[in-house]
This record gives sequence, C-alpha cells and structure tokens, in this order.
Amino acid sequence: MASRAITSDTHSVTRQSPATPLDDMASIVATYEQKIFRFHLISIRDRDVAQSLTQDTFVRAWAARDTFRGDCSMSTWLMRIALNLIRDHTRTDRFRFWKRVAETAVDVSDVASHVPHRDSSLESRLIASEQMALVWESVAQLSDRQRSVFLLRFVEDLELSEIASVTGLPISTVKTHLYRALAAIRARHNATHKDPL
Amino acid sequence: MTIHLSHEQLCDLILADLSLQPERDSWRELEAESDVVHEHLRACLICSAELRSLRDSLSHFRDASVSYARQEFAQSYAHRSSIAPPHTFLSQPLYWAAAAVVFVAALFPLSMHRLRPAPAVIGTTATSPSQATESDEALLADIDQKLSADVPSPMEPLADPTAGATSTTSTSDQRTN
Repeated sequence: MASRAITSDTHSVTRQSPATPLDDMASIVATYEQKIFRFHLISIRDRDVAQSLTQDTFVRAWAARDTFRGDCSMSTWLMRIALNLIRDHTRTDRFRFWKRVAETAVDVSDVASHVPHRDSSLESRLIASEQMALVWESVAQLSDRQRSVFLLRFVEDLELSEIASVTGLPISTVKTHLYRALAAIRARHNATHKDPL
Repeated sequence: MTIHLSHEQLCDLILADLSLQPERDSWRELEAESDVVHEHLRACLICSAELRSLRDSLSHFRDASVSYARQEFAQSYAHRSSIAPPHTFLSQPLYWAAAAVVFVAALFPLSMHRLRPAPAVIGTTATSPSQATESDEALLADIDQKLSADVPSPMEPLADPTAGATSTTSTSDQRTN
C-alpha cells in the first residue's frame, strides 16, 4: 500500500515537472512523426525503410534524451538524428540499399500524381507533372550530402542556419551545396527545354 | 551581347533566405546589387522566364513530395492499426465474444480427452463391464415385459377367488392319490 502511494506520488511529480521535454515522448512522436517519416521517405524513397528509420529515430532520441540541452529546437535535434541514420544506412548497406531501392523504389508517376493542379487545363497539368519529375530525377543524381541539404531546404523548408545546425556544416558550405544542387537541376532543366521530346 | 544573371544571383533569388542577414557594412552594397538584379529581371525575359520556371518546378516538387508522404504515412498508420488494435478496441463486445469463442474452442479437445476412459483402468476392472451388461439386460427385459402387456397392471382384473380352492383340491387329490 505504501509502495503504491510512493509510486503514484513519483508519477505525479514526474508529470508535473518533467526533467526534459523528451519525457513526454508520446506527444513528441505525435507532433514530429509525420515530418520525420517524410524526410526519410523522400531521402531513401522506400516506404518500408522509411518506416523503420522513423521508429529508429525516436528510439535513439529516447535513449539520448539526457543529452538534449535545449540549445536547438526539438525539430532540429530530431532531424539531426534522422540524418545520421540515413547516412549510416546508405553507408553501411550501400549495395543492398541501391538494390532494394531499384526493386521497391517509389515510382515517380505516383508522386507526380500528387502535384496540385490549380489550373485545370490538361497542358498545364502535364507541364507541372513534367517539371516535378525533372526535379525528382535530378535529386536522385545528387551526392548524399547535396541531396540532404537540398531536401532540408526545399521540402522541409528549413532556413540555412537550421540546415547548418542539422548537418553540422558551416552556412557557407550549406550554401555551396545548394548552389551545386541547383546547378544540376538547372542544367537538366535547360537541356529538357532546349530539346523537347 | 546581353549579360544575364550569374548562377549565384539566380540561386540567391530562389533561396531568398532571411537567415542570411548581411553585415551592416555590406547591407547597402547588397541592396544595390539586389536592385540591379531586379531591374535586370524586369528587362530580361530569358532570365525572368527561367527563374519562374525553376521556382515552379521546385514548388511542384515540394507540394507533390509533401502530399505523397502524407498519403504514405496515413497508409502505414492504417497498416499498423490493423496489426495491433488500440486499447480502446479491447472494451468492445465483439473482441470479447471472439476471445470467448477461441477459449471454448481451445478447451473442447481437452474435455473430450477427459471423458474418454483410460485403457489401463479398463484392463484392471475387467469384471465390472459384464456386471453392468447383466443389469442393463435385466432392465431392458423388464421394460419389454411391461410394454408387451395388453393391459397395464393397475387395470388388470382381480384374481379368481376360487382358484386357490381348486388348487387346494387338486393338491388334496394328489395327496390322496
């Protein structure tokens, strides 16, 4: 009886004043799971791997919750863990990764069907899908670092300072990666427009 | 010869990041450069068209990626729900009924096994089945007898009162003989 009272008191104290924001893991997962899953999915382009890495992200965050000092936002901290997991995954299982991606890769037409069509004309819809597919294929050709920086900027909409915090790179390096990524997209863009099929 | 925007100038326009606040000294220089860039964009159709096209492509890529990821996330969440239902589902009667059916189905073979007599017991008590068979046969014979009777026993006529005398006489006759 006494031990139960002590337990309930401890529980209520924990709920009133959590030691770190990560003590309430359920609400953190509910808030950030979709965002982390999206980053994994667009980076890896495999739903099963993205699911697995999303779970691993929160498991690692829970294991390392004592190291979270609050010097960056929770989103940035989780993104850093997610990025490290992607890097580990692509580095250690590079061969299996590419093989698996080739077998169960996200089809670009599936993604292109999600392009919002503000204009209902068929021509504008086709152009929009074509533009989206062009960027999708260009991103696949980027290096790991360029792709991560590009997706953090143009999908996750992070500012350069936040990308620098996630990747651990200086802002000038982040900017250089973005310039190179955009150069690759621009080159493909110009080639397509100059030589239309 | 027309000088177009450099790649960096075009990228800076695309990025347009507020986190890159310039130093106070270089602010005027950058502002002046920005004015030049915007003036060029107003005048040069090639650069403005390329900028618009690149912005559209990136915007479509972002919108499609976000929408696609949202759909995939919803699908994966639905799969997880079908594998492991939430705790609130356990309170529903359907789950309890299904659990009861499974429990009874699991117990049924056990009960059948217990009802079946053990072979060792039969061997040790070999005489008891024959006794039971005899008593069963006696019961069946009794039932057959009662059923084959034309009149139920309570409705049978009273016995002949002289029957005793006749028999007595005959016995006496036998004695005399």
